[in-house]
Amino acid sequence: MSAVTGLPRTVLRLHRTALIVWAAFVLAAVAGLVWLNEITADSARASGSDWAWLDYSEPMGWVSTAMYYSFWAVAAWAGSALIGRELESGTARLAWTQGLSPTRWLAAKLALPALVLVLAGAVFVPVYRWAWSANRDLMGDNWDFGDVFAARGPAVVAYGLCALAVGALAAIVLRRSLPALGVAVAVMISLNVYLEQHREEFWPTVTRTSATEIELPNSASQIENGVLVHGQRNTSVDYWSCDGTAAEMKRCTDDLGITGYWSTFHPQSHFWPMNLVETGILLTITALATAAAFWTLRHRTGAARKESAV
Amino acid sequence: MSAALTAPTRVHLTRWVVRLHRPALYLWTALILALAAALLWLAGPLADAAAEAWQRYNACADMGPCAYDQDAILRYKDYYEYATYAVLAVPFLVAAWSGASLIGREVENGTARLAWTQGLSPVRWLATKLALPALLVTVGTGALVALHRHAWVAGDGRIDTAKSWSDFATFYASGPVVVALALTGLVAGALIGLRRASSFGALGGGLCVTAFLWFGIHLLIPHLWSTVTKVTPMAHNVGPSGNGISVTQGVITATGARIADAHCTADTTAQCQAYYADLDAVSWFNDYHPAAHYWPLQWIATGILLAVTALLTVVTFRGLRRRTTTPEGAAV
Repeated sequence: MSAVTGLPRTVLRLHRTALIVWAAFVLAAVAGLVWLNEITADSARASGSDWAWLDYSEPMGWVSTAMYYSFWAVAAWAGSALIGRELESGTARLAWTQGLSPTRWLAAKLALPALVLVLAGAVFVPVYRWAWSANRDLMGDNWDFGDVFAARGPAVVAYGLCALAVGALAAIVLRRSLPALGVAVAVMISLNVYLEQHREEFWPTVTRTSATEIELPNSASQIENGVLVHGQRNTSVDYWSCDGTAAEMKRCTDDLGITGYWSTFHPQSHFWPMNLVETGILLTITALATAAAFWTLRHRTGAARKESAV
Repeated sequence: MSAALTAPTRVHLTRWVVRLHRPALYLWTALILALAAALLWLAGPLADAAAEAWQRYNACADMGPCAYDQDAILRYKDYYEYATYAVLAVPFLVAAWSGASLIGREVENGTARLAWTQGLSPVRWLATKLALPALLVTVGTGALVALHRHAWVAGDGRIDTAKSWSDFATFYASGPVVVALALTGLVAGALIGLRRASSFGALGGGLCVTAFLWFGIHLLIPHLWSTVTKVTPMAHNVGPSGNGISVTQGVITATGARIADAHCTADTTAQCQAYYADLDAVSWFNDYHPAAHYWPLQWIATGILLAVTALLTVVTFRGLRRRTTTPEGAAV
């Protein structure tokens, strides 16, 4: 009983600084969002000058960017301070001799930070969703911007959890703090770049064809567009160079053989499925990395125990 | 006697630092070589292809189809951006490594203390640890910055979408400021590494100090050299002119008073037009740094950062000496 409550307390005490820094960061982000929407937005609108909206939209962008990329810090911390440091200095080994099995040690080390990340997401994401939609007239971004896309749904939490698991795995495999930090951060950045480039492919796009030029709503996330040349899709005819009066335009597009226009895009209604697919991918990787971390740890410590028993 | 003894000892100590940080040395060399190759490629084939595409595009008629290599233009733009951010990341990499690995780790696990008992004084230990990395950081970062400048010059005036010298990422990545910042990062990492008990805390602290100093010099740079003022009549209807790093912009009224105005940058909206009419504004003024101020701004900022780095170095050594001598004094 005392071990059940004692273990989380040990983890909390050991990583108190990290917890305080993280809590301060999340609270500052939330407070910033409330302040920007309750105070800054009105004063920006009232000032009536050309660039006043930047006073609102720039800090709004910083908040979502900072929260989106906070998984870099999580990966670095998990790889070095949380796991790597104890394996490197041998305090982990000491803990395992005190009646605490390596599996329980790792479980406690991962469960608490995971809980903290989920709680932070549960506070931040709803507040950000409200803040992002509260003053759209002062913003120049769109739902498909990398940071906005992640911060408006569970994907931002999944990035944190994935970084935690990847950091732990890197530390257990490498058993050294700084290399684990470097590898964990590099893996997470690569994964993030890959997912950001391919997120539009994880859900079927909508294609619209029309005899006249297509005007998509501002919120649509356009993937590709072009013209139909004798009914066939074509992306390489630059019809936008046709200019002049309506008759001149018509002759120019006729010369190019243009019979219509097409556009593929994601409407804003695709936000939830796309965000959930990305969350699913990240949580799958999280599960695999966690399993690999436990397996590696058990394999190593089990082998060591057998050796010492012989 | 001392001359005969110190020479071999110094060689031995340098070799010891190299052996201890061999992975970091390999990684650093690989990073510099890879980035240098990328920058040379950018300055050569990529810039040439983009320049040719722009030439073709500009030769096209206003109407009708235009055949030009759009991919070449975008490729130069993308790779230029990646290379620029890679160069800008160097001071942070150095600070992180210095705080966590070079100093922090040895303080954390006690090997630093062990070394000090082996006839190596703390001051010599730290001097040896900082000297060789400082040399390698200066040479490596200096080479990158020179090559980045070379790649920027290759695109300037030939590629219409090439960044201006006053674009902040370009300004920092192609000048000596970033070399000084890398050295600041090295010392900042060491300073925090000696004070913090955990290497991860030292890493974070080193990064924060570097970011803070960068931010500080960024705010300071526009004020390090006197600006040029350009006055344009209000009739132009396009806002203040003069390209570069702008410090103050605004309007001059009929009475000759200067009114700095950060918000209405051109009388494009009815609100701004009414605002300027009320003020009786007759012309625009722009206090700015033209391209000719590039080198003075770079070198003065570099000098300031080197002075700060020297100061941090002194603080680091004094702190170390005080810490390592006090316990002995207490024991007496």
